[in-house]
Amino acid sequence: KMPKVSEVTTKADIKPKSMHRAKIWSDVVENLYRFQQAGYRDEVEYKQVKQVDQVECWPETGFVKKLQRRDNTFYYYNRQRECEDKDVRKVKIYVY
Amino acid sequence: GFFVLFCFVFSLFKVRGPPPAGSVKQRPAKHTAFRKFYERGDFPIAVQHECVGNKIAWKVEIEELDYHYFLPLFFDGLCETEFPYEFFARQGVHDLLEHGGNKILPVVPQLIIPIKNALNLRNRQVLCTTLKVIQHLVVSAEMVGEALVPYYRQILPVLNIFKHMNVNLGDGIEYSQQKRENIGVLIQETLELFERYGGENAYINIKYMIPTYWSC
Repeated sequence: KMPKVSEVTTKADIKPKSMHRAKIWSDVVENLYRFQQAGYRDEVEYKQVKQVDQVECWPETGFVKKLQRRDNTFYYYNRQRECEDKDVRKVKIYVY
Repeated sequence: GFFVLFCFVFSLFKVRGPPPAGSVKQRPAKHTAFRKFYERGDFPIAVQHECVGNKIAWKVEIEELDYHYFLPLFFDGLCETEFPYEFFARQGVHDLLEHGGNKILPVVPQLIIPIKNALNLRNRQVLCTTLKVIQHLVVSAEMVGEALVPYYRQILPVLNIFKHMNVNLGDGIEYSQQKRENIGVLIQETLELFERYGGENAYINIKYMIPTYWSC
């Protein structure tokens, strides 16, 4: 029983070691922007909090399509890029 | 002598031209059903103010919504110009069209009256928003462009009036083109999308309503 509890605790406590700001736009930055708009650090935290295996994405571009916020409302995102150049600096990239 | 007499008589009975018809004059907007339903709390939406921009949060998944009820209501809100009604209507329509898929086509006939009402206001801001919404509608799903062809006679007359609303600045920079707020350019883009997605009969129907349009 103890190993199961410790395993659950370890999974819930995955926290990043460092953070830096994005400098140029990319697909990864775009998805991070979408997660952070919904109130999460990134995909790792979203899957931890919402207990889901997969995130709904647009098949054409691979960008996140729909996220559920912590208050259980839903955010929907465009097929194309939403993160403008002026918002790229606000995107946080976490390193584990 | 006769010429002088004629000028004198003419000045007495001045022939005035016809009064302006007011085709480009804004009409007053009435409160929409969208506003009424929003104030009653019938919409499953809430606005979220985030540091990276405003976004509309849906309390119910869009996939579960009855498009026959909600989509025409949101289109009705396109007539609004005040916050938050204008924002919710515009952003709500965008989300519903972006994620509607095959639920949009059956509802197209119910969208024509709200689109016509919005265009008939002749309000510049409402015109810009409605034209962008129409462009999104045309490309939102298969066959929507062709489904709109029978309704050109209801939508296109107002576009015919504003089609030539382009500013001639000489060598100056027309910033409203960049910001997609130039009505003449938006109308031209919309007509070209109608032609591209409207099938074989689209061009002839557009040309009938807007004789100065040329095929793209």
